[in-house]
Amino acid sequence: MSHHIPEAVIWCLAIALTVVAVLLLRQRKITAGVRRRVAQLEESLRARDEETAHLVAVRLPAVADAVSQDVPLPGPLDERLTGTAFAQRLQSVMDLFAQAVEKAQARADQSAKAALKASMRALQGLAHEQQLAISEMQDRHDNPDVLRDLLEIDHANSQFGRRAQAIAVLCGSWPGRQRVASPLTDVVRGATSRIRDYRRVRVHGQDGIAVVSRAVEPVVLAVAELLDNAARHSQPNTTVEVSLQPVHNGACVVIDDAGVGMDGREVQQAVAMLSGRRPVDVSRLGDPPQFGFPVIGVLAARYGFSVSVDTRSPYGGVRAVLFLPSALLTQLDIDGPSTTPLTGHGRGRTAHGATRKHGTARPHDTRPHDPRPHGRAPERAHPAPDAPPAGPVAPAPAPGDGAAPGDGAASGGGAATGGGAVTGSTAGGLPKRRRRQPAAGHGRPVAPPPTELPRERTAEENARRMGAFARGTRSGRTGNHPLPHLPGDAATGQQPPHLGQQPPHLGQQPPHLGQQPPHPGQQPPHPGHTPAEDEGNPHA
Amino acid sequence: MRPYVVTDGRSHPTRNTFDLVTLVMAHGDRPLGGLSPEKRALMELCLGGALSVAEIAGHLMLPVSVTKVLLGDLVDSGHLSTRAPIPSAQLPEAQILQEVLDGLRARL
Repeated sequence: MSHHIPEAVIWCLAIALTVVAVLLLRQRKITAGVRRRVAQLEESLRARDEETAHLVAVRLPAVADAVSQDVPLPGPLDERLTGTAFAQRLQSVMDLFAQAVEKAQARADQSAKAALKASMRALQGLAHEQQLAISEMQDRHDNPDVLRDLLEIDHANSQFGRRAQAIAVLCGSWPGRQRVASPLTDVVRGATSRIRDYRRVRVHGQDGIAVVSRAVEPVVLAVAELLDNAARHSQPNTTVEVSLQPVHNGACVVIDDAGVGMDGREVQQAVAMLSGRRPVDVSRLGDPPQFGFPVIGVLAARYGFSVSVDTRSPYGGVRAVLFLPSALLTQLDIDGPSTTPLTGHGRGRTAHGATRKHGTARPHDTRPHDPRPHGRAPERAHPAPDAPPAGPVAPAPAPGDGAAPGDGAASGGGAATGGGAVTGSTAGGLPKRRRRQPAAGHGRPVAPPPTELPRERTAEENARRMGAFARGTRSGRTGNHPLPHLPGDAATGQQPPHLGQQPPHLGQQPPHLGQQPPHPGQQPPHPGHTPAEDEGNPHA
Repeated sequence: MRPYVVTDGRSHPTRNTFDLVTLVMAHGDRPLGGLSPEKRALMELCLGGALSVAEIAGHLMLPVSVTKVLLGDLVDSGHLSTRAPIPSAQLPEAQILQEVLDGLRARL
């Protein structure tokens, strides 16, 4: 029985050892698993640390830099984190940060724009004021040397105004001045006047296309910026060629320069700016700030025209094409108030000016205006025969009536002969007149009547009139015997040719005056004056 | 349109013969093709008959001195010719008028 005990111990030991071994193995497996897990967790923690560091060092600054630009933002560093809650949290941090940056940026931009806009508006006002002053001086001074200086100041002032205007537009202001619809040629020349090298610009084009009123100033500004770019980026001895072309849906202004051109990246940037879709950040226009393309982009988006600069010019530089859709184009009304009709029949069409002028010259003449100057001759002939029956006073208006147009014809050579030489009207509604046709054929027939009319009034008639006037004055002053004079006046009036009979007739006056007993005291002056007057008559 | 664009920056007329009342006449046979819009407008104004420099400036709404530059060019190119102004009539002297007045007063 005793020999069974060691066996049993051995068995027990073996079992115990086996159990221990199994336990050890199991423990070892567990430990390995835990170690692996720890390593995994450590790795994961490191990855998150790195991801956070990446967020702070790279991604958030990228968001801050890329504000209002469409560049791709850097993603998470470790692909294993994609889709985890940690990655989502990181993304929300990014978004919040981006929003905050954008908001701050927008606020800063807003206030910068507001400040710039206000100051540019003030400068624009000053430039405009100065332009008025310069225009006034140009009108006032006739000296070419003074004019030369004024032209230079004027030119500098125009560029100054354009710069201020461009910045103001970029900051959200309206282009400013309201203008009337203008021919495209004038629009382009107006733009030319605002750049430094205006003498290098050659405009080829055709008339007949006009820009509607509201688009004039924006197009002027956009073309001015394009021309400025073209002139600035080309040699001073080259020209900038502008051609105006009607196209199916509108019209194009094509600007070619012979300059350095743009490389691919520049073209890409320009296209992006010219599209006008991206909001303009005034604080990121470069140094020195490049206003040109952003301004054009803003105007193009606002008014509906388009500009492209992605073609090469045949001269080697850039070809910029500004396309104006039909909605921005119009046909100019030739008879409009702002245009001066320059054709011959244009004058005749503005009839109200003609009739008014005519009416003042001859109020009783209701016939339509007769453009032939010699048509006046019979008209003038009428009053002359009519005049004598009306007495000595009646002829007076006739010469006066005739003299006014006569003088005008003699000195002006046509202001009055034309009568209808009215070309449109001024802004204030006054008719504009133009001197017409001074040539001999028209001037001559008018000239004789004025010479005839004074001839009709002979010396004795003059004297008679003076006498009648003096007598009338005298009788008016005495106030008592106006009637007795009338027969005498009528007598003198009816007997103009009978000079020989006048002395007897005048001689009758003293007795006639003497027949007035109520005023003996007033008689002495009468006889004293009458003889003098009588003597005067034949000699006058 | 600013005047410096109209004159292409020039301020001195090519000839110094223009006065405010100088009469300008157009030669209708010259082509208007290559002229600037202002010059064409000026020619069309003058084709209607002789005009004085002052009137042309008024119609074109340009300063007189700028108009003279344009006129100088057009005279040089043979589009225009000038005529001396018609001398103004001699006005009687004030003394004579006074004497006539005195004489009339003395007689009446």
